[in-house]
Amino acid sequence: MEYQNQLKLQSYLDEELPEDEAREVANWLARDQEAVALLTELRQTRQAVTGFEDGIRLPESREFFWSKIEREIQRQEAHTKEQAPRIPWALRFRRFLMPATGLAVLALLALVVTREGGGSASDSSVETALEDSGAFTYHDDSAGATLVWLSYPADNEGADNDDWDSLE
Amino acid sequence: MRSKLRLGEALSWLGAGLMLLACGHLEAQAAELKLQTQLIWGTDDSKPPEGKDYKPVEPVILKKLKELPLKWKNYFEVKRTDFAVTPAGTKKVPLSEKCELNVVHQNNSVLEVALIGKGKEVVRRTQSLPKGEILVLGGNAPNATAWLVILKRIE
Repeated sequence: MEYQNQLKLQSYLDEELPEDEAREVANWLARDQEAVALLTELRQTRQAVTGFEDGIRLPESREFFWSKIEREIQRQEAHTKEQAPRIPWALRFRRFLMPATGLAVLALLALVVTREGGGSASDSSVETALEDSGAFTYHDDSAGATLVWLSYPADNEGADNDDWDSLE
Repeated sequence: MRSKLRLGEALSWLGAGLMLLACGHLEAQAAELKLQTQLIWGTDDSKPPEGKDYKPVEPVILKKLKELPLKWKNYFEVKRTDFAVTPAGTKKVPLSEKCELNVVHQNNSVLEVALIGKGKEVVRRTQSLPKGEILVLGGNAPNATAWLVILKRIE
């Protein structure tokens, strides 16, 4: 007997077949002794199993039992999330570094522009000689030095004191 | 593909380095300036005046002075003062009983320097003073000598 026919007999026994198919199976049983024998065996097996079934009684309430199952499902889902494939730290760091590179270049450009805008000593120098109109300025880039030469103290002041002590 | 990744990684590290440099530079800009003044005596004499324990100027300063249009053969350090000036801060640095230097830290390395002599402002000058550069204020002194005030940035 084909496996599909065996399954159909089991369904017939369990009263799971639609009405027209159940009628066909009944007609088939009327003319096929092998099918009748199998159906009888299946029915006896079911009765035997049913007789040995013992009702399982839970030690706790139904709600509590299912809540335990629910908690276990949630725990396993959380565990699964934790075990999700980790992205290497170097790759994650690189994601940060890419925009950082752009920012750094912009910052450096801004610094260079600012520095050039600020100019060197000779560019930005502003001098106001107040008491000394005879002052002159000399700047030497290679020496990195700016000299402001003054006529202070005036000659007549220096004449009062004839040595270096007048400046101290 | 792998070479592109390596190039990207190298560029990333370069960027990180540049960023650190930029941060360091910005921090340095915001920090106080450490400066030094030196009162110098310029003379053709090989020794300081009798009774004065002046020392010859340090070689770095001497080298810079020699490159300036100054005629004196020897330079002696009379007084040296180290000080710091905070951003937008002002510092009065006494050079002698009669002279003092007023230093205003304007921004970055830009300073406003005013020389005060006998209570009067002799000269006021605004300029940037990068590390390693010096500003020399000077004038003639009796007996064909010279006085010099050197402002030097230490940090």
